[in-house]
Amino acid sequence: MDKYNDVSPFVIIKSDVTRRSFIYTDRALGALDKSKHQYQQRVLIGSNGGENAAVPVSLLLRDGTSIIGTPSKTAKNPYVVDQIDGKLYLTDQGEIVEEVHYWYKPDYYDKFTSSGTPMWQVASARPQRLDIDPNSHCHFWNKGNGCKFCNINANSTQSEKECNMSKQLTAQDVYETVKEALKQPGAFTNLKMSSGSILSGAEIFDDEVDMYIEMLQAAGDNFKDKKFPSTIVASAFSEKQLARLYENTGLMTYTSDIEIPNEALFAWICKGKHNEVGYAEWKRRIIRAVDIFGAGNVSSGIVGGCEMAQPHGFTNEDDALKAVLEEAEDFASQGVSVVHCVWVPMHGSAFHNQQNPSLEYYVRLAKGLSDLRKKYLLNVDMDNYRKCGNHPDTDLDRGNLD
Amino acid sequence: MSILNERIQALLQDSGTAKVLATVDKQGLPHIVSDPSISVNNEGQIIYLELIETSQSNVNLVNSIWFKRKVAIHLSKGEESYQIKGYPAYSVICGPVFEHYYKLSLERNPEFDLSTVWIIEADEITDDTYAARKNKEREKHPLITHLDRLAK
Repeated sequence: MDKYNDVSPFVIIKSDVTRRSFIYTDRALGALDKSKHQYQQRVLIGSNGGENAAVPVSLLLRDGTSIIGTPSKTAKNPYVVDQIDGKLYLTDQGEIVEEVHYWYKPDYYDKFTSSGTPMWQVASARPQRLDIDPNSHCHFWNKGNGCKFCNINANSTQSEKECNMSKQLTAQDVYETVKEALKQPGAFTNLKMSSGSILSGAEIFDDEVDMYIEMLQAAGDNFKDKKFPSTIVASAFSEKQLARLYENTGLMTYTSDIEIPNEALFAWICKGKHNEVGYAEWKRRIIRAVDIFGAGNVSSGIVGGCEMAQPHGFTNEDDALKAVLEEAEDFASQGVSVVHCVWVPMHGSAFHNQQNPSLEYYVRLAKGLSDLRKKYLLNVDMDNYRKCGNHPDTDLDRGNLD
Repeated sequence: MSILNERIQALLQDSGTAKVLATVDKQGLPHIVSDPSISVNNEGQIIYLELIETSQSNVNLVNSIWFKRKVAIHLSKGEESYQIKGYPAYSVICGPVFEHYYKLSLERNPEFDLSTVWIIEADEITDDTYAARKNKEREKHPLITHLDRLAK
């Protein structure tokens, strides 16, 4: 932290905790209050709980930022969440690092839709964002070409089997859950939808676009105005598909993840996307979305550090960072924010045995991406610290004034 | 444990007290806001309700909590005047505490859209009345005064 004393220490802690993972002491788990805290959640990537059903879903830091992650039994050097003198702390080798809080449970969580679906299985809640993932199955895996860092289908199959959690949501359930969620004053500032890719349709992704239109319209029926603060994290749609989406829904912003901002590595790690669309076209489509949604209202996520996956990734951190930031600058210069999460080689993904880069790499990456937004005057309100919480770089933007 | 005594807590609870928050930005430039809604919670921590996410005060407070920079709060009512210095300890943007103050803000003005509940822990209090400041100076610097004040 001394070396990067102009970077928020909370960002550094968050990056390292995500990178190294964490576990809970029994005392810390005893502090979980099921009536107040979230202990089960529908997520696309990661884990929906399963055998860890009584584990807090995530952590809040004192500055209002989040650490999004699940404890890992196989982590070699994890942080430890402990309860000391009635407060919860992240500890490292027995030393207190920082105070944390468990995520609170929204009022709608324990309610049911008219079809009997638990509302927490329809929408999950980040600190200020309503998350609805209508389809938890990615078609790229059908051909064996899913992204190597991702465990979406393994996770959704396990959740369906163990928790009877449906992979697909219905529009009526979405409508009713959003309606209930909006009854809680001050709880949400954004609605986000995401899904596994759906390749079918007259044109690739046409059926995915149709699904988003149906689901966004169902959610949108709860709002006074046609447009409402919202985003989707979706496949790279064509201009025609984007226009159809924008014109027929309340959607205000759009994200499609380039995942690995390097064509050769994208072709290896995201083989399905590369085979069906191609890196250059995937990127072109994201940039063209700026014509519809406006500069700053389009972002692209990268799995930070995955560019160092072996055997084909960069072997030198300086080279990797240079390549990533150069490509991110090309996006930023054309109105697209690049945001990063910390690559966790998770169980159920093809990369589960890999090692992610150093903490210093992540600090430099977060600062580099945040500085690019400053340079190109892009705000990232659509994906900031209080909405997503999964991007150390957008946490940093909070310390800068427009 | 809070260092705010009963009188200061009472002033913080009093909507008739003038309350000013002073912060500094990354370059050290000062910024002040006057806000009669600054208050105190049951733990003796100062509550500042930020209504504008992108305001200069909010950005300064973010940098204060990140880099452990002090903020100052000035209270005055009638002859009484206090300066409190302390650190932002929590930036609350969700959960029951946030929602409590969100509803309170709406009751004050239905147009208010609360961004952040800042919880500030005081670590220094100064009696800021003229008499207290002058007495302190006379005690520490007895040579600083006009002679006519000392004439028979």
